[in-house]
Amino acid sequence: MHRVLLPFEFFEPKTIEEAVHLLDTGNAKVMAGGVDLVLKMRLRLISPEYVISLLKVPGLDYIEGNPAGLRLGALATIRQVELSQVVQKNWTILYDAVRQIASVQVKTMGTMVGNLCVATPASDISPALYVLGAKVKIAGVNYEKVIPIENFFVAVGNTILESNEIVTDILIPSLSPGARGAFMKLAKTAEDIAKVNTAVMVTITDNICTEAKIALGSVAPTPIRVTGAEELLTGQKLDGAHIARAAEAAAEAVKPITDIRSSAGYRKEMVSVLVKDALLKATSSGRV
Amino acid sequence: MKKERANFMVNGKLYEIIIEPRMLLVDVLRERMGLTGTKYACGTGDCGACTVLVDGKPILSCLTLAVTVRDKNILTIEGIADGNTLHPLQQAFIDNGAVQCGFCIPGMVLSAKALLEENPLPTRNEIQAGLAGNLCRCTGYVKVIDAVQAAAETAGKGGKI
Repeated sequence: MHRVLLPFEFFEPKTIEEAVHLLDTGNAKVMAGGVDLVLKMRLRLISPEYVISLLKVPGLDYIEGNPAGLRLGALATIRQVELSQVVQKNWTILYDAVRQIASVQVKTMGTMVGNLCVATPASDISPALYVLGAKVKIAGVNYEKVIPIENFFVAVGNTILESNEIVTDILIPSLSPGARGAFMKLAKTAEDIAKVNTAVMVTITDNICTEAKIALGSVAPTPIRVTGAEELLTGQKLDGAHIARAAEAAAEAVKPITDIRSSAGYRKEMVSVLVKDALLKATSSGRV
Repeated sequence: MKKERANFMVNGKLYEIIIEPRMLLVDVLRERMGLTGTKYACGTGDCGACTVLVDGKPILSCLTLAVTVRDKNILTIEGIADGNTLHPLQQAFIDNGAVQCGFCIPGMVLSAKALLEENPLPTRNEIQAGLAGNLCRCTGYVKVIDAVQAAAETAGKGGKI
Protein backbone atom coordinates (compact mmCIF):
# COMPACT_ATOMS: atom_id res chain seq x y z
CA MET A 1 0.00 0.00 0.00
CA HIS A 2 1.36 3.38 -1.01
CA ARG A 3 0.14 6.58 0.53
CA VAL A 4 1.25 8.64 -2.48
CA LEU A 5 0.00 7.96 -5.98
CA LEU A 6 2.32 8.00 -8.95
CA PRO A 7 1.79 11.11 -11.08
CA PHE A 8 -0.82 11.14 -13.83
CA GLU A 9 -2.65 13.65 -15.94
CA PHE A 10 -6.25 14.31 -15.06
CA PHE A 11 -8.96 15.08 -17.60
CA GLU A 12 -12.54 16.12 -17.05
CA PRO A 13 -14.38 15.75 -20.34
CA LYS A 14 -17.85 17.25 -20.64
CA THR A 15 -19.31 14.57 -22.91
CA ILE A 16 -19.08 10.79 -23.26
CA GLU A 17 -17.83 11.27 -26.82
CA GLU A 18 -14.94 13.38 -25.58
CA ALA A 19 -14.26 10.82 -22.84
CA VAL A 20 -13.94 7.86 -25.23
CA HIS A 21 -11.64 9.88 -27.48
CA LEU A 22 -9.43 10.65 -24.50
CA LEU A 23 -9.44 6.99 -23.46
CA ASP A 24 -8.31 6.13 -26.96
CA THR A 25 -5.05 8.02 -26.45
CA GLY A 26 -3.18 5.28 -24.62
CA ASN A 27 -2.52 4.30 -21.04
CA ALA A 28 -5.72 5.85 -19.72
CA LYS A 29 -8.32 4.78 -17.19
CA VAL A 30 -11.85 6.03 -16.77
CA MET A 31 -12.99 7.11 -13.30
CA ALA A 32 -16.45 7.54 -11.80
CA GLY A 33 -16.61 7.12 -8.00
CA GLY A 34 -12.95 6.18 -7.88
CA VAL A 35 -13.33 3.65 -5.03
CA ASP A 36 -11.67 0.82 -6.90
CA LEU A 37 -9.51 2.86 -9.25
CA VAL A 38 -7.81 4.95 -6.56
CA LEU A 39 -7.32 1.87 -4.39
CA LYS A 40 -5.67 -0.03 -7.25
CA MET A 41 -3.50 2.98 -8.01
CA ARG A 42 -2.44 3.11 -4.35
CA LEU A 43 -1.62 -0.58 -4.45
CA ARG A 44 0.26 0.19 -7.70
CA LEU A 45 -1.64 -2.60 -9.42
CA ILE A 46 -2.25 -0.03 -12.13
CA SER A 47 -0.46 3.23 -12.93
CA PRO A 48 -2.33 5.04 -15.68
CA GLU A 49 -0.73 8.05 -17.36
CA TYR A 50 -4.14 9.61 -17.85
CA VAL A 51 -7.19 9.46 -15.62
CA ILE A 52 -10.39 10.41 -17.38
CA SER A 53 -13.04 11.48 -14.89
CA LEU A 54 -16.70 11.25 -15.88
CA LEU A 55 -17.78 13.42 -12.96
CA LYS A 56 -18.06 16.60 -15.05
CA VAL A 57 -20.21 14.99 -17.76
CA PRO A 58 -23.61 16.46 -16.92
CA GLY A 59 -26.72 14.36 -16.35
CA LEU A 60 -25.21 10.88 -16.01
CA ASP A 61 -26.58 10.12 -12.55
CA TYR A 62 -30.13 9.29 -13.61
CA ILE A 63 -32.33 6.53 -12.28
CA GLU A 64 -35.30 6.37 -14.63
CA GLY A 65 -38.02 3.86 -13.94
CA ASN A 66 -41.15 3.51 -16.05
CA PRO A 67 -43.46 0.65 -17.11
CA ALA A 68 -40.97 -0.37 -19.81
CA GLY A 69 -38.03 -0.73 -17.47
CA LEU A 70 -35.33 0.85 -15.37
CA ARG A 71 -32.36 2.78 -16.69
CA LEU A 72 -29.34 3.64 -14.58
CA GLY A 73 -26.81 6.19 -15.80
CA ALA A 74 -23.06 5.72 -15.54
CA LEU A 75 -22.85 7.99 -12.49
CA ALA A 76 -25.88 6.65 -10.60
CA THR A 77 -24.44 5.66 -7.25
CA ILE A 78 -25.24 2.50 -5.33
CA ARG A 79 -26.65 4.70 -2.57
CA GLN A 80 -29.00 6.50 -4.98
CA VAL A 81 -30.35 3.13 -6.11
CA GLU A 82 -30.76 1.99 -2.50
CA LEU A 83 -32.77 5.12 -1.65
CA SER A 84 -34.85 5.08 -4.85
CA GLN A 85 -38.53 4.45 -4.13
CA VAL A 86 -39.02 3.26 -7.72
CA VAL A 87 -36.34 0.60 -7.30
CA GLN A 88 -37.60 -0.47 -3.88
CA LYS A 89 -41.13 -0.88 -5.17
CA ASN A 90 -40.68 -2.38 -8.64
CA TRP A 91 -37.20 -3.96 -8.66
CA THR A 92 -37.09 -5.15 -5.07
CA ILE A 93 -34.49 -7.83 -5.76
CA LEU A 94 -32.06 -5.13 -6.88
CA TYR A 95 -32.83 -3.15 -3.73
CA ASP A 96 -32.24 -6.29 -1.64
CA ALA A 97 -28.86 -6.77 -3.32
CA VAL A 98 -27.57 -3.21 -2.93
CA ARG A 99 -28.86 -2.91 0.62
CA GLN A 100 -26.52 -5.75 1.67
CA ILE A 101 -23.53 -3.65 0.74
CA ALA A 102 -22.77 -2.29 4.16
CA SER A 103 -20.63 0.85 4.04
CA VAL A 104 -22.66 3.99 3.39
CA GLN A 105 -19.48 5.75 2.32
CA VAL A 106 -18.67 3.15 -0.34
CA LYS A 107 -22.27 3.18 -1.57
CA THR A 108 -22.21 6.99 -1.70
CA MET A 109 -19.01 7.11 -3.76
CA GLY A 110 -19.37 3.94 -5.79
CA THR A 111 -21.50 3.74 -8.90
CA MET A 112 -23.57 0.81 -10.11
CA VAL A 113 -21.72 0.79 -13.43
CA GLY A 114 -18.39 1.00 -11.61
CA ASN A 115 -19.29 -2.07 -9.56
CA LEU A 116 -19.87 -4.01 -12.78
CA CYS A 117 -16.72 -2.74 -14.48
CA VAL A 118 -14.59 -3.82 -11.51
CA ALA A 119 -15.80 -7.33 -12.40
CA THR A 120 -15.35 -8.90 -9.02
CA PRO A 121 -16.98 -12.35 -8.92
CA ALA A 122 -18.29 -11.42 -5.46
CA SER A 123 -20.38 -8.47 -6.66
CA ASP A 124 -23.77 -8.48 -4.94
CA ILE A 125 -25.23 -6.46 -7.78
CA SER A 126 -24.33 -8.77 -10.69
CA PRO A 127 -26.39 -11.85 -9.72
CA ALA A 128 -29.47 -9.66 -9.27
CA LEU A 129 -28.88 -8.13 -12.71
CA TYR A 130 -28.44 -11.63 -14.21
CA VAL A 131 -31.87 -12.80 -13.12
CA LEU A 132 -33.44 -9.47 -14.01
CA GLY A 133 -32.20 -9.90 -17.59
CA ALA A 134 -30.27 -6.62 -17.53
CA LYS A 135 -28.20 -5.25 -20.39
CA VAL A 136 -25.36 -2.76 -20.47
CA LYS A 137 -25.00 -0.01 -23.04
CA ILE A 138 -21.44 0.62 -24.14
CA ALA A 139 -20.05 3.67 -25.93
CA GLY A 140 -16.90 3.56 -28.03
CA VAL A 141 -15.35 5.90 -30.59
CA ASN A 142 -18.26 6.62 -32.95
CA TYR A 143 -20.44 3.67 -31.94
CA GLU A 144 -22.74 2.34 -29.26
CA LYS A 145 -23.77 -1.20 -28.51
CA VAL A 146 -25.99 -3.05 -26.07
CA ILE A 147 -24.81 -6.30 -24.47
CA PRO A 148 -26.64 -8.70 -22.14
CA ILE A 149 -25.03 -8.58 -18.70
CA GLU A 150 -24.30 -12.30 -18.91
CA ASN A 151 -21.95 -11.65 -21.85
CA PHE A 152 -20.17 -8.79 -20.09
CA PHE A 153 -17.81 -10.57 -17.70
CA VAL A 154 -14.79 -12.51 -18.96
CA ALA A 155 -12.72 -13.35 -15.89
CA VAL A 156 -11.85 -12.02 -12.45
CA GLY A 157 -11.38 -8.28 -12.91
CA ASN A 158 -11.93 -8.54 -16.63
CA THR A 159 -14.85 -7.61 -18.87
CA ILE A 160 -15.39 -7.47 -22.63
CA LEU A 161 -14.79 -3.70 -22.49
CA GLU A 162 -11.98 -2.44 -24.68
CA SER A 163 -9.71 0.14 -23.08
CA ASN A 164 -11.44 2.89 -25.08
CA GLU A 165 -15.01 1.91 -24.22
CA ILE A 166 -17.30 3.17 -21.46
CA VAL A 167 -20.45 1.65 -20.02
CA THR A 168 -23.00 4.44 -20.16
CA ASP A 169 -26.18 2.72 -18.95
CA ILE A 170 -27.55 -0.33 -17.21
CA LEU A 171 -30.89 -1.29 -18.77
CA ILE A 172 -33.25 -3.45 -16.73
CA PRO A 173 -36.56 -4.66 -18.14
CA SER A 174 -39.80 -4.64 -16.21
CA LEU A 175 -40.87 -7.96 -14.82
CA SER A 176 -43.69 -10.08 -16.04
CA PRO A 177 -46.65 -10.44 -13.69
CA GLY A 178 -46.08 -13.52 -11.58
CA ALA A 179 -42.31 -13.01 -11.42
CA ARG A 180 -40.94 -13.33 -7.92
CA GLY A 181 -37.36 -12.99 -6.86
CA ALA A 182 -35.04 -13.07 -3.90
CA PHE A 183 -31.41 -12.20 -3.17
CA MET A 184 -29.33 -13.85 -0.46
CA LYS A 185 -25.76 -13.49 0.66
CA LEU A 186 -23.49 -15.29 3.07
CA ALA A 187 -20.49 -13.43 4.48
CA LYS A 188 -18.35 -13.48 7.61
CA THR A 189 -19.70 -10.15 8.79
CA ALA A 190 -22.38 -7.93 7.34
CA GLU A 191 -19.82 -5.61 5.73
CA ASP A 192 -17.56 -8.32 4.33
CA ILE A 193 -17.49 -9.54 0.75
CA ALA A 194 -19.72 -12.53 0.00
CA LYS A 195 -18.48 -16.10 0.47
CA VAL A 196 -21.45 -17.02 -1.72
CA ASN A 197 -24.38 -14.97 -2.96
CA THR A 198 -27.38 -15.83 -5.05
CA ALA A 199 -30.28 -14.21 -6.84
CA VAL A 200 -33.26 -16.24 -7.98
CA MET A 201 -36.28 -15.31 -10.06
CA VAL A 202 -39.22 -17.57 -10.74
CA THR A 203 -42.29 -16.80 -12.82
CA ILE A 204 -45.35 -18.63 -11.61
CA THR A 205 -48.57 -18.97 -13.62
CA ASP A 206 -51.44 -21.06 -12.26
CA ASN A 207 -49.16 -22.52 -9.61
CA ILE A 208 -46.70 -23.77 -12.23
CA CYS A 209 -43.22 -22.34 -12.69
CA THR A 210 -42.98 -21.16 -16.29
CA GLU A 211 -39.49 -19.65 -16.00
CA ALA A 212 -36.71 -19.99 -13.44
CA LYS A 213 -33.40 -18.17 -13.19
CA ILE A 214 -30.73 -18.85 -10.59
CA ALA A 215 -27.53 -16.76 -10.54
CA LEU A 216 -24.60 -17.24 -8.21
CA GLY A 217 -21.66 -15.07 -7.20
CA SER A 218 -18.28 -15.89 -5.60
CA VAL A 219 -18.25 -19.47 -6.88
CA ALA A 220 -16.58 -18.94 -10.28
CA PRO A 221 -14.33 -16.35 -11.98
CA THR A 222 -17.50 -14.49 -13.04
CA PRO A 223 -21.08 -14.56 -11.79
CA ILE A 224 -22.84 -17.58 -13.30
CA ARG A 225 -26.28 -19.00 -14.03
CA VAL A 226 -26.94 -22.62 -13.11
CA THR A 227 -29.18 -23.65 -15.97
CA GLY A 228 -29.33 -27.33 -15.02
CA ALA A 229 -30.90 -26.41 -11.70
CA GLU A 230 -33.25 -23.95 -13.42
CA GLU A 231 -34.51 -26.67 -15.77
CA LEU A 232 -35.50 -28.81 -12.81
CA LEU A 233 -37.94 -26.08 -11.79
CA THR A 234 -39.47 -25.13 -15.14
CA GLY A 235 -42.87 -26.68 -15.70
CA GLN A 236 -43.11 -27.84 -12.09
CA LYS A 237 -45.10 -26.88 -9.06
CA LEU A 238 -42.55 -25.28 -6.75
CA ASP A 239 -42.95 -27.45 -3.69
CA GLY A 240 -40.28 -28.27 -1.13
CA ALA A 241 -39.09 -31.38 -2.96
CA HIS A 242 -38.52 -29.64 -6.30
CA ILE A 243 -36.82 -26.73 -4.61
CA ALA A 244 -34.52 -29.06 -2.66
CA ARG A 245 -33.60 -30.95 -5.83
CA ALA A 246 -32.79 -27.73 -7.71
CA ALA A 247 -30.68 -26.51 -4.78
CA GLU A 248 -28.70 -29.76 -4.81
CA ALA A 249 -28.23 -29.51 -8.56
CA ALA A 250 -26.95 -25.94 -8.20
CA ALA A 251 -24.37 -27.08 -5.63
CA GLU A 252 -23.26 -29.96 -7.87
CA ALA A 253 -22.86 -27.66 -10.85
CA VAL A 254 -20.42 -25.19 -9.26
CA LYS A 255 -16.66 -25.55 -8.91
CA PRO A 256 -15.68 -22.87 -6.40
CA ILE A 257 -12.16 -22.22 -5.15
CA THR A 258 -10.71 -22.15 -1.65
CA ASP A 259 -9.49 -18.70 -0.60
CA ILE A 260 -9.18 -16.49 2.47
CA ARG A 261 -12.97 -16.21 2.82
CA SER A 262 -14.04 -19.81 2.48
CA SER A 263 -13.13 -23.31 1.43
CA ALA A 264 -14.37 -24.79 -1.83
CA GLY A 265 -16.31 -27.50 0.00
CA TYR A 266 -18.06 -25.04 2.31
CA ARG A 267 -18.96 -22.81 -0.62
CA LYS A 268 -20.51 -25.76 -2.43
CA GLU A 269 -22.56 -26.71 0.64
CA MET A 270 -23.69 -23.14 1.08
CA VAL A 271 -24.79 -22.86 -2.55
CA SER A 272 -27.37 -25.52 -1.84
CA VAL A 273 -28.50 -23.82 1.39
CA LEU A 274 -28.71 -20.33 -0.10
CA VAL A 275 -30.44 -21.41 -3.32
CA LYS A 276 -33.00 -23.36 -1.30
CA ASP A 277 -33.64 -20.47 1.08
CA ALA A 278 -33.82 -17.96 -1.75
CA LEU A 279 -36.31 -20.09 -3.71
CA LEU A 280 -38.44 -20.56 -0.60
CA LYS A 281 -38.31 -16.85 0.09
CA ALA A 282 -39.22 -16.00 -3.50
CA THR A 283 -42.12 -18.44 -3.69
CA SER A 284 -43.55 -17.42 -0.33
CA SER A 285 -43.11 -13.64 -0.52
CA GLY A 286 -44.81 -12.81 -3.77
CA ARG A 287 -42.41 -9.92 -4.11
CA VAL A 288 -40.22 -9.10 -7.03
CA MET B 1 -4.19 19.20 -15.68
CA LYS B 2 -0.87 19.17 -13.86
CA LYS B 3 -0.30 21.47 -10.89
CA GLU B 4 -3.01 24.01 -10.45
CA ARG B 5 -4.50 26.42 -7.98
CA ALA B 6 -7.72 25.06 -6.56
CA ASN B 7 -10.36 26.36 -4.20
CA PHE B 8 -11.74 24.22 -1.41
CA MET B 9 -14.58 25.22 0.88
CA VAL B 10 -13.85 23.40 4.13
CA ASN B 11 -15.95 24.01 7.24
CA GLY B 12 -17.24 27.20 5.66
CA LYS B 13 -13.74 28.58 5.08
CA LEU B 14 -12.18 29.06 1.66
CA TYR B 15 -8.76 27.50 1.12
CA GLU B 16 -6.77 28.26 -2.00
CA ILE B 17 -4.17 25.56 -2.51
CA ILE B 18 -1.85 24.43 -5.28
CA ILE B 19 -2.58 20.79 -5.89
CA GLU B 20 -1.61 17.96 -8.17
CA PRO B 21 -4.26 15.53 -9.44
CA ARG B 22 -2.63 12.66 -7.59
CA MET B 23 -3.19 14.23 -4.16
CA LEU B 24 -5.70 12.51 -1.92
CA LEU B 25 -8.25 14.54 -0.04
CA VAL B 26 -7.12 13.12 3.33
CA ASP B 27 -3.59 14.41 2.74
CA VAL B 28 -4.74 17.82 1.54
CA LEU B 29 -6.90 18.19 4.65
CA ARG B 30 -4.27 16.97 7.09
CA GLU B 31 -1.04 18.25 5.61
CA ARG B 32 -1.97 21.31 3.57
CA MET B 33 -4.81 22.66 5.70
CA GLY B 34 -3.62 21.35 9.08
CA LEU B 35 -6.98 19.71 9.73
CA THR B 36 -5.68 16.57 11.43
CA GLY B 37 -9.04 15.60 12.94
CA THR B 38 -9.64 13.52 9.82
CA LYS B 39 -7.80 10.26 10.45
CA TYR B 40 -5.93 7.97 8.09
CA ALA B 41 -6.06 4.30 9.02
CA CYS B 42 -6.69 1.37 6.66
CA GLY B 43 -6.27 3.24 3.38
CA THR B 44 -8.46 0.69 1.61
CA GLY B 45 -11.96 2.01 2.28
CA ASP B 46 -12.81 -0.51 4.98
CA CYS B 47 -12.55 1.41 8.25
CA GLY B 48 -14.22 4.79 7.72
CA ALA B 49 -11.74 6.72 9.93
CA CYS B 50 -11.12 9.17 7.07
CA THR B 51 -14.84 9.94 6.56
CA VAL B 52 -15.73 13.53 5.76
CA LEU B 53 -18.95 15.01 4.40
CA VAL B 54 -18.97 16.41 0.87
CA ASP B 55 -22.15 18.37 0.20
CA GLY B 56 -23.59 16.64 3.26
CA LYS B 57 -22.79 13.10 2.12
CA PRO B 58 -20.23 10.81 3.77
CA ILE B 59 -17.24 9.85 1.65
CA LEU B 60 -13.84 8.29 2.24
CA SER B 61 -11.16 10.96 1.95
CA CYS B 62 -8.40 8.34 1.59
CA LEU B 63 -9.88 7.14 -1.73
CA THR B 64 -10.91 10.57 -3.01
CA LEU B 65 -8.74 12.59 -5.36
CA ALA B 66 -8.78 16.11 -3.93
CA VAL B 67 -9.16 17.51 -7.44
CA THR B 68 -12.65 15.99 -7.67
CA VAL B 69 -14.03 17.97 -4.72
CA ARG B 70 -12.85 21.44 -5.70
CA ASP B 71 -15.52 24.07 -5.03
CA LYS B 72 -17.65 21.63 -3.02
CA ASN B 73 -18.69 22.04 0.60
CA ILE B 74 -16.51 19.83 2.74
CA LEU B 75 -17.22 19.27 6.42
CA THR B 76 -14.60 17.76 8.72
CA ILE B 77 -14.79 17.11 12.45
CA GLU B 78 -13.18 20.52 13.09
CA GLY B 79 -16.20 22.24 11.61
CA ILE B 80 -18.93 20.49 13.50
CA ALA B 81 -18.94 22.33 16.84
CA ASP B 82 -20.49 25.78 17.16
CA GLY B 83 -17.56 27.79 18.51
CA ASN B 84 -16.89 26.41 22.00
CA THR B 85 -20.23 24.60 22.15
CA LEU B 86 -19.93 20.98 21.18
CA HIS B 87 -22.25 19.56 18.57
CA PRO B 88 -25.05 17.48 20.18
CA LEU B 89 -23.48 14.35 18.67
CA GLN B 90 -20.10 15.16 20.20
CA GLN B 91 -21.73 15.84 23.58
CA ALA B 92 -23.74 12.61 23.34
CA PHE B 93 -20.57 10.60 22.58
CA ILE B 94 -18.99 12.03 25.76
CA ASP B 95 -22.13 11.61 27.89
CA ASN B 96 -22.53 7.99 26.81
CA GLY B 97 -18.88 7.03 27.20
CA ALA B 98 -18.79 6.13 23.51
CA VAL B 99 -15.12 7.05 23.12
CA GLN B 100 -12.10 4.99 24.06
CA CYS B 101 -8.95 5.72 22.04
CA GLY B 102 -10.91 8.16 19.88
CA PHE B 103 -9.31 7.42 16.54
CA CYS B 104 -12.53 6.30 14.85
CA ILE B 105 -14.69 8.98 16.43
CA PRO B 106 -14.37 11.82 13.89
CA GLY B 107 -15.59 9.44 11.19
CA MET B 108 -18.29 8.02 13.43
CA VAL B 109 -19.61 11.49 14.30
CA LEU B 110 -19.68 12.59 10.66
CA SER B 111 -21.41 9.40 9.49
CA ALA B 112 -23.93 9.86 12.31
CA LYS B 113 -24.50 13.47 11.28
CA ALA B 114 -25.21 12.43 7.69
CA LEU B 115 -27.55 9.73 8.97
CA LEU B 116 -29.54 12.07 11.24
CA GLU B 117 -29.91 14.63 8.51
CA GLU B 118 -31.47 11.97 6.28
CA ASN B 119 -33.39 10.22 9.03
CA PRO B 120 -33.86 12.36 12.17
CA LEU B 121 -35.21 9.57 14.39
CA PRO B 122 -33.53 6.36 13.31
CA THR B 123 -34.13 2.97 14.93
CA ARG B 124 -31.16 1.13 16.43
CA ASN B 125 -31.03 -1.03 13.31
CA GLU B 126 -30.97 2.04 11.12
CA ILE B 127 -28.15 3.51 13.22
CA GLN B 128 -26.21 0.26 12.82
CA ALA B 129 -26.72 0.40 9.06
CA GLY B 130 -25.77 4.07 8.95
CA LEU B 131 -22.51 3.43 10.81
CA ALA B 132 -21.66 0.09 9.16
CA GLY B 133 -18.82 1.74 7.27
CA ASN B 134 -17.08 2.90 10.46
CA LEU B 135 -15.04 0.42 12.44
CA CYS B 136 -14.06 0.77 16.11
CA ARG B 137 -11.27 -1.48 17.34
CA CYS B 138 -11.47 -0.75 21.06
CA THR B 139 -14.75 -0.26 22.74
CA GLY B 140 -17.38 -1.73 20.45
CA TYR B 141 -20.55 -0.23 19.13
CA VAL B 142 -23.25 -0.38 21.79
CA LYS B 143 -22.33 2.93 23.42
CA VAL B 144 -21.78 4.56 20.04
CA ILE B 145 -25.30 3.58 19.03
CA ASP B 146 -26.60 4.77 22.41
CA ALA B 147 -24.91 8.12 21.76
CA VAL B 148 -26.40 8.56 18.31
CA GLN B 149 -29.83 7.65 19.64
CA ALA B 150 -29.43 10.15 22.50
CA ALA B 151 -28.35 12.89 20.09
CA ALA B 152 -31.34 12.17 17.86
CA GLU B 153 -33.64 12.47 20.88
CA THR B 154 -31.99 15.76 21.92
CA ALA B 155 -32.47 17.06 18.41
CA GLY B 156 -36.10 15.91 18.48
CA LYS B 157 -36.60 18.13 21.53
CA GLY B 158 -35.41 21.20 19.68
CA GLY B 159 -31.63 20.73 19.64
CA LYS B 160 -29.89 21.04 16.32
CA ILE B 161 -28.01 18.41 14.34
